[in-house]
This record gives sequence, C-alpha cells and structure tokens, in this order.
Amino acid sequence: MRHVLWMTIFAMLTAVVFGVVAKGSDRQRLIYGLKVFAEFLVIAFILGWILYFLPLR
Amino acid sequence: MVTREMDHAGTKAPGRAWMLGVAAWAVPGLGHLLQGKWGRALLLGGVVWVMFFAGLAFGGHLFHISSSDQGFAAILQLLPMSANFGAGLLYIGCWVTNTGFAEQAQRITYEYGNTFLLVAGLLNYLAMLDAFDIAAGRKP
Repeated sequence: MRHVLWMTIFAMLTAVVFGVVAKGSDRQRLIYGLKVFAEFLVIAFILGWILYFLPLR
Repeated sequence: MVTREMDHAGTKAPGRAWMLGVAAWAVPGLGHLLQGKWGRALLLGGVVWVMFFAGLAFGGHLFHISSSDQGFAAILQLLPMSANFGAGLLYIGCWVTNTGFAEQAQRITYEYGNTFLLVAGLLNYLAMLDAFDIAAGRKP
C-alpha cells in the first residue's frame, strides 16, 4: 500500500509542475494538471496489472 | 496567435532573462521569486525542494562521474548525472559535502529515492525554462 502512496505523491508533485508551467488560463492549467495526475495513476495501474500477469519470475 | 508566438520566439532574450534563468537553476524557485511570481515560486520551488529531500530520505543516491568510470560506464553515468545536476546548488552542495552519493540498495524505497532525485532535477530544468520565458516576455 505504501508503494501506491509514494507513487501518488510522485504523480501529484509532478503534475503540479506540469500544470504551473503550462500555457493558458488558470482554469485550463488546473484542468491540465489534474489530467496529468490522473494519467500518471491510470497508466501506473494498467502497467502494474500487466506486469502482475507476466511470468517474470 | 501562432504568428505572435513565433514573433516572441524570434526576439532576442535580454541579459536579465539569462541571469534569472541561472538563478532559477541554482536555487529552485528563486527565478520566479525575483520576478515577483510568488505563487509560481512557491509551487515550483516547493516541489523541487520537497522531491529532492524526499529522494534523499528514501535512500536514493545521486549520480556522478568518478575517475573509475571509463568509456561506456562513464556515458551511462552521464545521463542520470545531468538529470541530478538540474537541482542546481542542492546537487552541488551534496557533492561538496559528499552527501547522498552512497548507494543504499538494501532499502525498500531506494528506487523511489532515485526516481525522486532524478525527477527533481528534471522538473527544475522545466522551472528554469519557465522563469527564462517569463523574464524574456514570452510568457505572462
């Protein structure tokens, strides 16, 4: 569970920077930051489940 | 709008913009702070500082090229080192005091630490470019 927490914190911090340096109005940048945050989490969960089913060990 | 952006891109950046860019790289957040952009300084600088120290606390290690690295080994160190170097004086301070360069692979958060340290530097490069663009009048 802690791994998910660190990953979420990482996604949040990175999304803040992406949102702040983006162009557009405050609202557009906020939406962009939230989108980046959601993308980080969704992609991480998808990759996590793909790796779970791969016989890597 | 595209034409206007291209016009801005074509204009020569003043020396002040370069100085602020260097300041933004050296001390995360300072480039925006000196331009009176308190909110941006707090967010961008805060994220880089937090990520850098969180990375160290997680047991991550900073990369550098030592005399023992030859050929391909040196090239392999160069990329992560340039990412770490983006943290500016934070990296240089660690280098001077020899802090954070020891590997702690036995720690469970070791890889998280490495990632936080690498990304802190890379995000500060973005913040530096943002401060430069603002100072050059290419961004509001």
